[in-house]
Amino acid sequence: MLTAVNAPKTLQAILDAAVDGVVLIDHRGIIEAFNRASECLFGYAAAEVLGQNVSMLMPAGEAAAHDAHIARYLRTGTPHIIGRGREVTARRRDGTEFPIFLSVGVVPGSDPPRFLGFVHDLTLRRNTEERGRLLQERLTHVSRLAMLGEIASGIAHEVNQPLTAVANYAQACERLLGGANPDIEEIREALREISAQAVRAGDIVHRLRSAVRTSDQSRAPVNVNSLIGELKDLVVGDARRHNVGLHFELGENLPLVEVNSGQIQQILLSLLRNAFESLAHANSPAKQVTTHTRLSPDRDVEVHVCDNGPGVPERNVPRLFEPFFTTKKVGTGLGLVTSRSIAESHGGTLSFRPNVPVGACFVLRLPTL
Amino acid sequence: MKEKSPIVFVVDDDDAVRGSLRLLLKSVGLAAQPYGSAQEFLQHYTPDQPGCLVLDVRMPGMSGLELQQQLNVRGAVLPVIFITGHGDVPMAVEAMQHGAFDFLQKPFRDQDLIDRIQRALEKDRGYRQELRKREQIRERRDSLTPREQEVLDLVTSGKANKVMAADLGVSQRTVEIHRARVMEKMGAASLAQLVRMVIDLRSEGEETNAS
Repeated sequence: MLTAVNAPKTLQAILDAAVDGVVLIDHRGIIEAFNRASECLFGYAAAEVLGQNVSMLMPAGEAAAHDAHIARYLRTGTPHIIGRGREVTARRRDGTEFPIFLSVGVVPGSDPPRFLGFVHDLTLRRNTEERGRLLQERLTHVSRLAMLGEIASGIAHEVNQPLTAVANYAQACERLLGGANPDIEEIREALREISAQAVRAGDIVHRLRSAVRTSDQSRAPVNVNSLIGELKDLVVGDARRHNVGLHFELGENLPLVEVNSGQIQQILLSLLRNAFESLAHANSPAKQVTTHTRLSPDRDVEVHVCDNGPGVPERNVPRLFEPFFTTKKVGTGLGLVTSRSIAESHGGTLSFRPNVPVGACFVLRLPTL
Repeated sequence: MKEKSPIVFVVDDDDAVRGSLRLLLKSVGLAAQPYGSAQEFLQHYTPDQPGCLVLDVRMPGMSGLELQQQLNVRGAVLPVIFITGHGDVPMAVEAMQHGAFDFLQKPFRDQDLIDRIQRALEKDRGYRQELRKREQIRERRDSLTPREQEVLDLVTSGKANKVMAADLGVSQRTVEIHRARVMEKMGAASLAQLVRMVIDLRSEGEETNAS
């Protein structure tokens, strides 16, 4: 219990001990107390603010609203912020602004009422959140790059095919032209093939380049089938490397989805790669991965990526989307986590179901426009 | 029987690579027979067809390495030149261990491939000649009477006529007559040549048992 004699001194000591800023104002908004934590937060000495209007601690916009809040409370007794608290912006002495959580209480028995504000600095938390977000973005980028690194050898193979054909055709033409009575029509046909194969090589390179472009966060309406079509060239080499047959069953007349194409392709690429890898350990005679698109009964676009490999043991199913959970020898355990977070950021879902009769099936659902 | 002319079999699942190889081989006067998959090749290939095989390592369905093993199991002797877009060293090692003739990385210089194909065809030709020669020796040996076969075994294991005569319970003169018949039927000009033939047959038998 505070005695009348030591009350002000003890009160100030208690306020100064508080970790958060504490500001006491009267019914006009005039500052009556300003603790040490507040001095640190706002950069003002208590002496500079006592007797001043509390609006000096706020950006102009908030200051006007603040006066209105007090006026309304005095008039109607209806609290706006009192007893609840909310996130607002505060202003330091040097004019810089920072995020705070402000909770306000009315000092009991005071008339006209006095208000006690508790100021909790959110700068640190905001920074952490921001760092987390950046980290997540980086992670997405890194896992995508890692994946691209892995498929790069598959790509190299795909580019080498048309290059080999071009070289063979050109050399054949040269030899045919050097021989007696060259068949001009045959040579012309070979030349046509050369230009077609050069275009094919260019297409593959182009697709790889558009898959690496990541910083772009923009979304646009697109048919999910065309995203899958672009991916084919990127995965065909990988499928071949794993001796896997690739099948596509693309639903017709699918409505558009509004997505970031690169990110959705990243999910699909990662699902396909997982499927190939799981098949690497399978003894199935005809290893197959089927990508199937359709419109769900509740009008979501669904992409099913299914393999006929060993599937996921039941005990692992609940852990599939846990970070750092992996059954691969070389794996980050982040692929599915990242994929699911991308799906969810699009308002969609990514889920697992066993394939029938064997294997695993991952289902990406995206809301339609 | 007339020797069939050699064919270069090309097995690659890529239409363009296949088509371009066919034309390239045609431009140097080589007959090529392209196939889009290992299975398709196996369906059509008969082991008495001489030639060589240009094979992509990685194909959907049966891979090149698997096809090579299938051919080994079937006792086909076709030399295999692997082509790959990956330049994958462990795979090259595996292929060579299983008896691949050569290994080329895509894209390749045409002359490199053509040289290797010529060498592979040469090897195939040599091997088939060797096979025919052995077949001939075997036929000759099978034409020997049981007593002549006995004499052949004893002669080639280094026994002198006198010892053979004692072993077989006949006169030395009789051994000499059998021995002359053996040399004549086998078409051997000398004892050394006769021994060589027997060793060839024996080593072939061992190979067959080992595989």
